[in-house]
Amino acid sequence: MKKLFAVALGVLTAIGGFVDIGDLVTNAVVGSRFGMSLAWVVVVGVLGICVFAEMSGRVAAVSGRATFDLVRERLGPRVGLANLFASMAVTLLTFTAEIGGVALALELATSVNELLWVPVAGVAIWLVLWRVRFSEVENIFGLMGLALIVFAVAVWQLGPDWGDLWAQASSPKPPAEENWGTYSYYAVALFGAAMTPYEVFFFSSGGVEEHWKTDDLATMRSNVFVGFPLGGMLSLAIAASTTLVLLPVGVQVDTLGQVALPVAVALGKIGLAVALLGFFAATFGAACETGLSVGYSLAQYFGWQWGKFVRPRQAARFHLVLLLSTILGIAVLLTTVDPIKVTEYSVVFSAVALPLTYFPILVVANDPDYMGEHVNGRLANGLGTVYLVLVLVASMAAIPLMLVTKAGQ
Amino acid sequence: MDGTVAGRRYDAALNLLDRQIIDPDGGLVANVDDLELTERDDGRLVVTALLVGPGVLGPRLGGRLGHWTVAVWRRLCAEENPKPGRIDAADISRIDSGVHLAARPDDRGVDGLERWVDEHLIGRIPGATHEPE
Repeated sequence: MKKLFAVALGVLTAIGGFVDIGDLVTNAVVGSRFGMSLAWVVVVGVLGICVFAEMSGRVAAVSGRATFDLVRERLGPRVGLANLFASMAVTLLTFTAEIGGVALALELATSVNELLWVPVAGVAIWLVLWRVRFSEVENIFGLMGLALIVFAVAVWQLGPDWGDLWAQASSPKPPAEENWGTYSYYAVALFGAAMTPYEVFFFSSGGVEEHWKTDDLATMRSNVFVGFPLGGMLSLAIAASTTLVLLPVGVQVDTLGQVALPVAVALGKIGLAVALLGFFAATFGAACETGLSVGYSLAQYFGWQWGKFVRPRQAARFHLVLLLSTILGIAVLLTTVDPIKVTEYSVVFSAVALPLTYFPILVVANDPDYMGEHVNGRLANGLGTVYLVLVLVASMAAIPLMLVTKAGQ
Repeated sequence: MDGTVAGRRYDAALNLLDRQIIDPDGGLVANVDDLELTERDDGRLVVTALLVGPGVLGPRLGGRLGHWTVAVWRRLCAEENPKPGRIDAADISRIDSGVHLAARPDDRGVDGLERWVDEHLIGRIPGATHEPE
């Protein structure tokens, strides 16, 4: 019974914790411009994150070592350091976007300007990182994030022509008013949003935080293979909701309020309130995860003590990194930069940085020295290799597409 | 450069370099940034210590960045000719995915920055000593 409860809780938090500001914004933008014609990218991206999260979780459970620990071991200090700088820059950008997302959610709920909320949100996030237990952060925000199911309810309430939605989803080409350039650009952005590198840093370090052993592999797999795809369904529901409400009237999403609009149309004020709660939980939870990921990657490269399983004084350098990153995130947002723009760039740069994270994981998951009998099987390697090719293509295409399409305009 | 610890042979570059060093309580100490090799009478090289810190990581990074790393480290150290953190190879108890030590290292060069940050910054924030679980 206790075991069943643990598995259920893990799956539920995996669903609720799957969506972050990048998924919210990118899926809503894509739905409002391309309908469901890019839904296949979400499906491909979710399977990809499942494959690599399982691998990195398995490496963490078997070897007790998290991702960045192994990046340096496999790539050497020099290439490892270049990898660290690039990954950290992207994760910091994502962290900034998440703090901005929390502030925007609070602005929508209170009508108090987002810039006034930024310092409050930043301090609250830091306090959680400083004081709250790791498992509590995961459970509270994961469960609260389930509020985003309201998007699926909204889609159902809007009573769509399911045949038409399916027709859009099964014809992967841009609608009449868009071209292949912007279509490909948003395909890369959606892929980056689904496979954001911080997710595997966080997932593998979280496994070490919670002292996973090989007995926990089954629980970990159920979280990944049940929780993540269901979380991906929420992404699709967000895209479907803007497809139904905003695409027909030609409104393009460029604020968080517009992301929530279809829910308000379908379910009224109560629905809107639930959606805002979901936004808050998803962005706050992801802010904690990305903030920790910055600390994890830096500490693991240098071999510093890290993690929330020890007292802050015992991981002083790690906690200093968390503090400085939060200050940096707040400072960037206070320049009055638009958090939605920060989000859009963060998912594209995530796509650029993908191979840096995924290549070393694939290598280590094949190393019998670390993994013993738990090395990758044929299926994991087959999928891993296919995804490595996809990730390389997305990474190389991202910046040229951004320049050609003027960031999707 | 093969050596024997606890009856098993290890490749120094593959099994030691860049690995996590772990103290007897499971605490994370540092990464192995370099190795101290000593020539034995028969001409073979043996690993006599694990070296840690920017002073030895810098040269392995190479180029201008490596040069600067060492220069900054030298300038920040109090001594005239600072030495990198050193952990004697005799203290290694076990090598698996990490390098496990039999005793907690007491060399200030190993965790000087951690102690400084703890004493001057993190340790002063309320709640810094609260139990994690």
